[in-house]
Amino acid sequence: MSARETILARIRRSAKAEGDRAANVRARLSGAAQPLTPRQGQTAGEERTLQFIAKAESVDATVTRLARLDDLPAALAEELRNRNLPAAIRTGEDPAFDRDWGTVERTKGTGRIEEPATLSRAPLAMAETGTLVLASGPENPVTLTFLGETHFVVIRESDIQAGFEDMWAEFRNRGLDPRTVNMVTGPSRSADIGQRLQLGAHGPVALHVFVVGE
Amino acid sequence: MSAFHPTSARFKQNAREALANVNIQAAMSTTGSGFVGKRAAARAALPEFDDLRDRARDLKNHVLGHLDLYLEHYEDQVTKAGGHVHWAETAEDARRIVLEICRKAGAKTVNKGKTMISEECGINDYLEENGIQPVETDLGEYIIQLRREAPSHIIAPAIHVTVPEVDALFREKHGHLDKDRPLDHALLLAEARKILREKYFEAEVGITGANMLVAETGQSVIVTNEGNGDLSQSLPRVHIVMASLEKIVPTLEDAANVLRVLARSATGQEMSVYTTFSSGPKRDADPDGPEEYHVVLLDNGRSGMIGTEFQEMLRCIRCGACMNHCPVYQAVGGHAYGWVYPGPMGAVLTPSLIGVEEGGQLPNASTFCGRCESVCPMRIPLPKMMRHWREREFERQLTPGAARFGLGVWRMVAGRRWLYGLASRMGAFGLRVWSRGRARIRKLPLGRGWTDHRDFPTPQGGTFQGQWRAKR
Ligand code: SF4
Repeated sequence: MSARETILARIRRSAKAEGDRAANVRARLSGAAQPLTPRQGQTAGEERTLQFIAKAESVDATVTRLARLDDLPAALAEELRNRNLPAAIRTGEDPAFDRDWGTVERTKGTGRIEEPATLSRAPLAMAETGTLVLASGPENPVTLTFLGETHFVVIRESDIQAGFEDMWAEFRNRGLDPRTVNMVTGPSRSADIGQRLQLGAHGPVALHVFVVGE
Repeated sequence: MSAFHPTSARFKQNAREALANVNIQAAMSTTGSGFVGKRAAARAALPEFDDLRDRARDLKNHVLGHLDLYLEHYEDQVTKAGGHVHWAETAEDARRIVLEICRKAGAKTVNKGKTMISEECGINDYLEENGIQPVETDLGEYIIQLRREAPSHIIAPAIHVTVPEVDALFREKHGHLDKDRPLDHALLLAEARKILREKYFEAEVGITGANMLVAETGQSVIVTNEGNGDLSQSLPRVHIVMASLEKIVPTLEDAANVLRVLARSATGQEMSVYTTFSSGPKRDADPDGPEEYHVVLLDNGRSGMIGTEFQEMLRCIRCGACMNHCPVYQAVGGHAYGWVYPGPMGAVLTPSLIGVEEGGQLPNASTFCGRCESVCPMRIPLPKMMRHWREREFERQLTPGAARFGLGVWRMVAGRRWLYGLASRMGAFGLRVWSRGRARIRKLPLGRGWTDHRDFPTPQGGTFQGQWRAKR
């Protein structure tokens, strides 16, 4: 017998459950279990946006609100200047970023070993925990999320969901099936040296979010 | 210490050495409190926290009752996404499978995100013996790999290492850098970051663990704060996931329930920085990500726990809360437990996985204070299961003679009420005389195992039975 068969047979012999086990599994996989969404995962409207911003800031992200996407190039140029970063940005193929970048040099592609500043767009986010939900693909190469020294992320206000449940519902709704779903909550960190928390372990040292109105 | 050679059977001696080791004591003195306070604050901030724990428990019980079916569904989904599932009955099988994949990929170096299953299987030593260089990329794992040690905590593997030790270690191992360079917390981190950044681009294979496997979608989930697991799986050509088979959750909503209790219990965070759901290899149009995706599904004794009094241990999500709250762990640190899993969860799991002969000493390393169970997000009755192991150890005559004799005397006395009452009155009287009126006893003849490390409280008032009678 193969290892697979041996293991499955052993479990089959000992696993106990009430009712028809196969039917139980089918039901659960088709969403029969009613999840518990905490109150903090149920906000709406402007309160939701403000909650997202507050939660993101509480985990050391910084946030700017923009009225429209057209304001992004100027806002990004200013952020780069304020952070003493070169006037250059690396992005994927996202058409939202096909625009006039002015003084900022925009290159497209995957993350390289030295990547001072990268820009992604998150298709979804969760106000519950201030979490950005990114999906890998040509529009958003996954390496940009982890190799950027400073990672800039754009999220549309209308894409911010309240919590996990409405986020997953919307995720399925849009038929997304990326190789990775990357939930990002603040810049990277580690307390492995002397148990003192420091930002910028292997991923970004800084995370800046542009919350865009329309 | 290598994963092949557990020293759990020497727990007592290990513990004695750890208590006398100034470095371990210095490192441990600063641990516990941080985690404990942060978890308490996170719990207080989420009114639904305890309800979510109940649901997490129920959800995992449901999975364990249907595990064979979920595993089949999960495997189908992985295959549909273009990935491969490899079933490993033993640690040895897992080692062989991993080596084969690495060989096929022509790997010289293998990057590793943090995975306890790889520690359990002793992957690093095995790859090295076979001419492949494993590189740990989690900062804590990197430090202990350079020190050639096992982790001493499941989420903070280098928690026992002090900053001066890291400083000396980096100066020794990073010999190509200027010997007199200044180093502090931040510079040490920057140095490791730079060195590992290069490694990410060199490795042909990346190995990560999995906090969960989602049956609905065939995804593996990792949760990290550093981002190393993501670089380890996104840059090399081949991604291997090492996971034990109880990591299954049915749906994305179930995964959310576990995530809501996991980080809060572990570090007090609402969410860890990176939670990544991975399925299959990169899609055709993707410019980055691995070309191959393999899941090594490890049993190593777990399927044998289903349907037994140890089944509940399979609910464990490896958050580390039980050890953060354990007075024994906090005093002796993780290495004394002698294998991969320390603290209360290790005391229950180790004998299940490597046998009661090797690991049977660990369930004795408990005062049964019950703090572990009270904080466990999966509500695992850890003390009860330790008691099961003690019974088994006793039945199988593995308990040392002195302990058996002591238990025999205890049984004789406790079975006779008059004798028990007399003995406890005499004991309390003796302790009061010995204390010479002080509330705490510093040194106790025959009781130095206790008083060498903490004071013994002088009994106050009458015996319990005396008070009970008076109250009735
Ligand atoms: S036994 Fe419970 S508290 Fe301990 S690591 Fe497992 S889930 Fe966490």
